[in-house]
Amino acid sequence: MTRLERLDQMIDPQVMAMLDQLDIVSRKIFSGKIQGERRSRRRGQSVEFADYRPYVHGDDLRFVDWNIYGRLDRLFLKLFVEDEDLSLVVAVDRSASMACGDPLKFDYARRLMMALGYIGLVNHNRVTLCAFGGPDGVARSTAMRGRRRTSEMGRWLLSLDASGDAAFDDAMRTIALSRHGRGVLVVISDFLLPDGGQRGLRYVCGRGFDVHAIQLLAPEELEPSSHGVTGDLRLVDIESGTETEVTATAAVVRAYRESLDAHVAALRDFCVRRGITHTLVPTTMKLDTLLVEYLRRRGLVT
Amino acid sequence: MNWIAPVAGLVVAAATIPPLLALYFLRLRRSRRTVSSTMLWRRATEDLRANAPFQRLRLSILLLLQLLALALVALAIAQPYADLGVRGAQRVVLLIDRSGSMNATDAGAKGGVRLDEAKRIAIERVRDLHGGGIFSGAAPEIAVIAFAGGAEVLAPYTDNAAQVRDAIAGIRPTDEASRIGEALELARAFTAVTRPDDPDARPAAPPVIELVSDGRIEDLSEQVLREGERLAYRPVGKADATNAGVASVAAARDPDRPDEVQVFARLVNWGIEPRRTDVALIVDGDVRGLTPEPVEVPARLGDGRPGESQVGFPAIPLPRAAVIGVRIDADDPLPDDDIAHVVAAEPRALRLALVGRGAFAIRSALDGLAPAELRAFSLAEWEAALAQDPTLPERFDAVVVDAEVPARLDRGRFLTFGVVPPLPGFEPYGTKDAVVVRSTRDEHPLLRYVNLDGLWIGSMLAVAAGADAETVVDASEGAVVLAQSRGPVALVCVTFDPMDSNWPFQRSFVNFVANAVDWLAANGRPITEEALRPGDALSARLPPEATRIALRAPDGTRSEIAVPEPASFAWGPARRAGVYIASWGSGDTGSSRAFAVNLDSAREGRIDAVEELTIGTEQVAGQSSSGASRTALWPWLILAAIAVLLLEWWVWLRRS
Repeated sequence: MTRLERLDQMIDPQVMAMLDQLDIVSRKIFSGKIQGERRSRRRGQSVEFADYRPYVHGDDLRFVDWNIYGRLDRLFLKLFVEDEDLSLVVAVDRSASMACGDPLKFDYARRLMMALGYIGLVNHNRVTLCAFGGPDGVARSTAMRGRRRTSEMGRWLLSLDASGDAAFDDAMRTIALSRHGRGVLVVISDFLLPDGGQRGLRYVCGRGFDVHAIQLLAPEELEPSSHGVTGDLRLVDIESGTETEVTATAAVVRAYRESLDAHVAALRDFCVRRGITHTLVPTTMKLDTLLVEYLRRRGLVT
Repeated sequence: MNWIAPVAGLVVAAATIPPLLALYFLRLRRSRRTVSSTMLWRRATEDLRANAPFQRLRLSILLLLQLLALALVALAIAQPYADLGVRGAQRVVLLIDRSGSMNATDAGAKGGVRLDEAKRIAIERVRDLHGGGIFSGAAPEIAVIAFAGGAEVLAPYTDNAAQVRDAIAGIRPTDEASRIGEALELARAFTAVTRPDDPDARPAAPPVIELVSDGRIEDLSEQVLREGERLAYRPVGKADATNAGVASVAAARDPDRPDEVQVFARLVNWGIEPRRTDVALIVDGDVRGLTPEPVEVPARLGDGRPGESQVGFPAIPLPRAAVIGVRIDADDPLPDDDIAHVVAAEPRALRLALVGRGAFAIRSALDGLAPAELRAFSLAEWEAALAQDPTLPERFDAVVVDAEVPARLDRGRFLTFGVVPPLPGFEPYGTKDAVVVRSTRDEHPLLRYVNLDGLWIGSMLAVAAGADAETVVDASEGAVVLAQSRGPVALVCVTFDPMDSNWPFQRSFVNFVANAVDWLAANGRPITEEALRPGDALSARLPPEATRIALRAPDGTRSEIAVPEPASFAWGPARRAGVYIASWGSGDTGSSRAFAVNLDSAREGRIDAVEELTIGTEQVAGQSSSGASRTALWPWLILAAIAVLLLEWWVWLRRS
């Protein structure tokens, strides 16, 4: 396998050209810090009229519709649709478990992160990248906007490495508490956690984030018997170091698949109930296919 | 195929194969593989494990190879052998040691007598040679030779197994030393005989010699195996057996107090540790003395000689003849040498007669012996007394004839000076003048402390002696001193007149006369009998009436012996150690004579069995079982097991 070491390995120019046509979609309209290219549900100072509301003490008298006052002798405020920017936070799991698989799940995640971030930059969204897990806890990039920050984003991603355990719950709590404004949160992980990451996701759902959970799984995790996981094995957990002796008979592999399916299904059910979009992505899937077809169908990009 | 230790093989198989299978059930050799999480795998296997305590045994080439290796090892431990018979060995000689050390009681697990164990092994060997089924080939001819001090063919070459077994069962123990040379010669002699009707017939092939012994054989280092000879050695007895014994006993009467006897003993220890033992003095079966404290006998020396210790008992009053024994309290496998005997004769007063001239020098020399009686006879008086009592000479321990010879010297013990004895074989052929001694037999008892270098003889008789006479002192002109002991007559003949020489003025003359009287007297009845060794003959001069003798052996058996000539009684060999008692007559007229035969503990007392014999330059390892004609298969099985293990290792490497 080839490790990501250069920026041009992060994202292909042709893919970039294709990504230029895409934009991040939020099912919710959130207010931003500055005016952006997005219609906000918050009434603002644009020229597009939206509605009236009665004046209350303290309202800016500049937005009083004096014509209405003349006819009705009551104070009404004119409300305008305000354009605002979108906050895109992409959080990637950089625990040791992501350093498995062929291709490495972590490399796939970084490339996906790069692509999503690029889409966000191109569309003048406020893009923040986070990496959680490992000995350093949550690493966060600066908030970026505009295409010219692409290379900076790529360098930041290249500086990441996968090691240690996920500490998923703490990471999600940290991200939830440190959010700036509302926006889209994309969590990329394998979610191979005892509770499937449900406790951690509770911190970020319903806190102003439109949350997308992208679960990356390597092919040997999806189809172990087809990828050399056969015979009498002593499986070593890359994070905890615990060993499990397994004789990969057909019955055992079948039981594993059932266990995996149940794990994924439990996470998906949780996400559905909490308004989180769950997407299971095998790392064998091409990135452009994933973005153009798969995530578009899932409503993350348009 | 037969098995030597099938139970051991089964035990090993039962102890190893199930655990191996269990290992395969419980734990497999697994290859390590790193995964992002084992959580799902654990969940997947937990249910399966909960329902199945053992995994299904999966056929594995490694398991099969390991089972095969274990089975081979178990088979090897069972010691299979192929009984290939004795092809190539047409003749087998069983040499069975029956020496004194084979009476040790340390053979087998229960501590049996070695000879019995040797006989059992030999009989089992006969059964092996005559058994074995269709692969054993034709039964060979077997000869049985028992050996100790000498060898005895108990069964000539025969294919009659019953005869051979009977011969082996009939072997009686001895206390003799162990010498194999004669037995080997006998075995070869039997083989060397060719067919008498075919002068061109080739000698038979050398026999296979199977030696059943403890390996303590004196003359083994002197023997060599000839070309083609094969020797199989089957040791008997324990290699760490130790023994202590009484090597010799001596008893002496004090010349000044002849009623007292002092006893000395030499103790030997063949063990590698010093040994402390009480030593008892036994007279006629009764304990008469005991050492005040245990005697320490040192351990065996580095050069293989036994540790020795001397014991002397204080003089005990013993005014009669007795059998004196010295016994040690040694708890060892060989009791036969723990006691040794010596026969002490009753104290005796010396009785001498001087016939003839009665020269001053001779009379003085005889007086110096302090005889109880010294009677002087003129020649006429002697002849007259002899006419009245023909047994007169036998009443004296020695009759000294000086210069005048009686007409007859046909019964008695005589010392003659300057006369020609009137005995067959003695013929004078003149006189010789100015004679000096040319040679002497210094080892002869007559010449003890006698130096004849300064002897000058003025004139001597030239005497031609018969074959029975031995020349003790010789000169160029003829014999000077002759000795003869034949039938009822013992004679020391000095062929010159001492008064016609310078001899009376020399100390050697007195010593010679004393030696001669002692030798003649001893020829009748010694003060103490010399202890005999097993294998020696019992011989003695007995009274004329002892024509029918009852001999009681140490084991209590009695035998009647007709003695045509009591003066030269001989019987033997006496194979067992102990006291032999020859008795004759009955009632008041009855008398007896004891003979002590002692096991030579200094030679035969070493009983630690030899595990590997050295015969010539050849090393012959002992075979613990009768497997000379068996081909042991265990080395091949071990090799096969190693090969299988190597293959298993290679397969494992390939798989991992």
